[in-house]
Amino acid sequence: QGEALQLQIVCFNFETVQVTWNASEYPGTNLTFLYKFSGDEAYDQCPNYTLQRGHTAGCLLEAKDQILYFSISNRTHPLLTRSQWVSDYLKPSSPKDVKFLWHQEAVTVTCSDLSYDGLLYEVQHRSTFDPEWQSKEERTCNVTIEGLDAEKCYCFRARVKATESSYGSDTQPSDWSEVTHWQSGEPRDSCQDNQEPPKPKFPKFILIS
Amino acid sequence: LTYNFSNCDFNKIRVEYDQIIFSDLKKYMNGTKSTQFNYNISCNNPPDCLTEIQRVTFSPTHGCTSLHKEMFAVKTKATLTLQCPGYSGIQINNTQAKKNRKKREVTTNKCLKQASQLLGLWRRFSRIKGN
Amino acid sequence: GESGYAQNGDLEDAESDDYSFSCYSQLEVNGSRHSLTCAFDDLDINSTNLEFQICESLVEVNCLNFNKLQEIYFIETNKFLLIGDSKICVKLGEKSITCKKMNIVNIVKPEAPFDIRVIYREGAKDFVVTFNTSHLQKMYVKNLIHNVAYRPEKDENNWMHVNLSGTKLTLLQRKLQPDAMYEIKVRSIPSTYFEGFWSEWSPSYHFRTPEKNSAGEMG
Repeated sequence: QGEALQLQIVCFNFETVQVTWNASEYPGTNLTFLYKFSGDEAYDQCPNYTLQRGHTAGCLLEAKDQILYFSISNRTHPLLTRSQWVSDYLKPSSPKDVKFLWHQEAVTVTCSDLSYDGLLYEVQHRSTFDPEWQSKEERTCNVTIEGLDAEKCYCFRARVKATESSYGSDTQPSDWSEVTHWQSGEPRDSCQDNQEPPKPKFPKFILIS
Repeated sequence: LTYNFSNCDFNKIRVEYDQIIFSDLKKYMNGTKSTQFNYNISCNNPPDCLTEIQRVTFSPTHGCTSLHKEMFAVKTKATLTLQCPGYSGIQINNTQAKKNRKKREVTTNKCLKQASQLLGLWRRFSRIKGN
Repeated sequence: GESGYAQNGDLEDAESDDYSFSCYSQLEVNGSRHSLTCAFDDLDINSTNLEFQICESLVEVNCLNFNKLQEIYFIETNKFLLIGDSKICVKLGEKSITCKKMNIVNIVKPEAPFDIRVIYREGAKDFVVTFNTSHLQKMYVKNLIHNVAYRPEKDENNWMHVNLSGTKLTLLQRKLQPDAMYEIKVRSIPSTYFEGFWSEWSPSYHFRTPEKNSAGEMG
């Protein structure tokens, strides 16, 4: 029961919960979303439906760190009844007030800690020579990255992840913070313009025909 | 006899859950989908969570009588004994009632459902800020 | 201690000082099985008829007896509770000669890292060092601090050290001697909740730095 109704739940930073369903199974039908945050309360009707092609396709609720009991019905009967921890579907907000404190060949990246626990603050960096980002994570938003070359230009970005032990494995990481560029401890607009062009592949042979 | 968990060292219990118990609970739940079971046991503060965790872990239910023998349960008891003053004393009295318990049974679906409630409760306990 | 054994709080040491011993644990060293290794501090001790036993903080059993391999006493089991102290005793028959209280999670000696590699990047003028560790796949001891050590081979004791939590490091070319053969190796120690000792060193890797060209640059 309910398997035909594909569901997606996202809890945005414990501020709002968005439940969306794939209504294609029930074309032209306004499905009803009833919910409550405690087993002994009465169900309430969704206060804020989201529509798709003029029909209900989701519900937006105020979030609480609690079990969400909900039921989705068509005109005659419930199609799906579930009760899930809202936190299982957490998507934290992306880091705010990201600051960089440079010292010799290292930088400490800080941002405002979110108001709830069980998170990992991830900072990624790479120089123009690195094909991939390199990650470092800490339990608070205070991440120090060492071994940086003052001559190179680096890009940095940060995001927040929920730990599996506190939130399960169905969460989403936050969006990345804005990418910033730095060289010798100074901010740059980008890392492209002031890098030495990489040496040509075969510098030592010149073909004279 | 019920125990009041207010004086436990919640931070130490959180760390032992995060570093030890969670791995065993996850291993026990291996193969189950996170949406396979509905949750219906909640908690609001650390003592409340530990009360529910103790009840769900150590109280037998119809269809699941030996959850308390599982590795994560044995470790739950160890951490509560270590971090909650007087807890072990209460346990000794309660154990008299469990003498006739059957040997560890095959993991039943009912036990998996009960363990999934525990996962929800432990997660909730681990993210509540403060002591 | 450097040797990788714990010697904390003796319970009954008055009677048998020379039977002092040290131990280290390795978690999930064989699938989900853990190991505990102990040895007498005095290597010249006559250990005939001496046995080791661990009690408390075990699952389903009260005590476990060690196996003896020459002068090393060893257990491999999945019955460590990993919560709370255990009591490890030296036994002569049924008599406990000396005992120590130890917590298995505080005497962890990680497995040695492996596959250390160095790649020279001419454009970036640096060397990228990477290595691997079996602890990335473990359930318990996942967080380690790695200690990378490197030296010019002709400079016996001039080891330089870098500590990091990841498994990738960059060495700047301008900080190394040109046209020199270097040796590099890495070891690990537990860093979060679990405590203990440095692992053995990884096998060493050897690499050569480029010569200095006319412009005074390495190339």
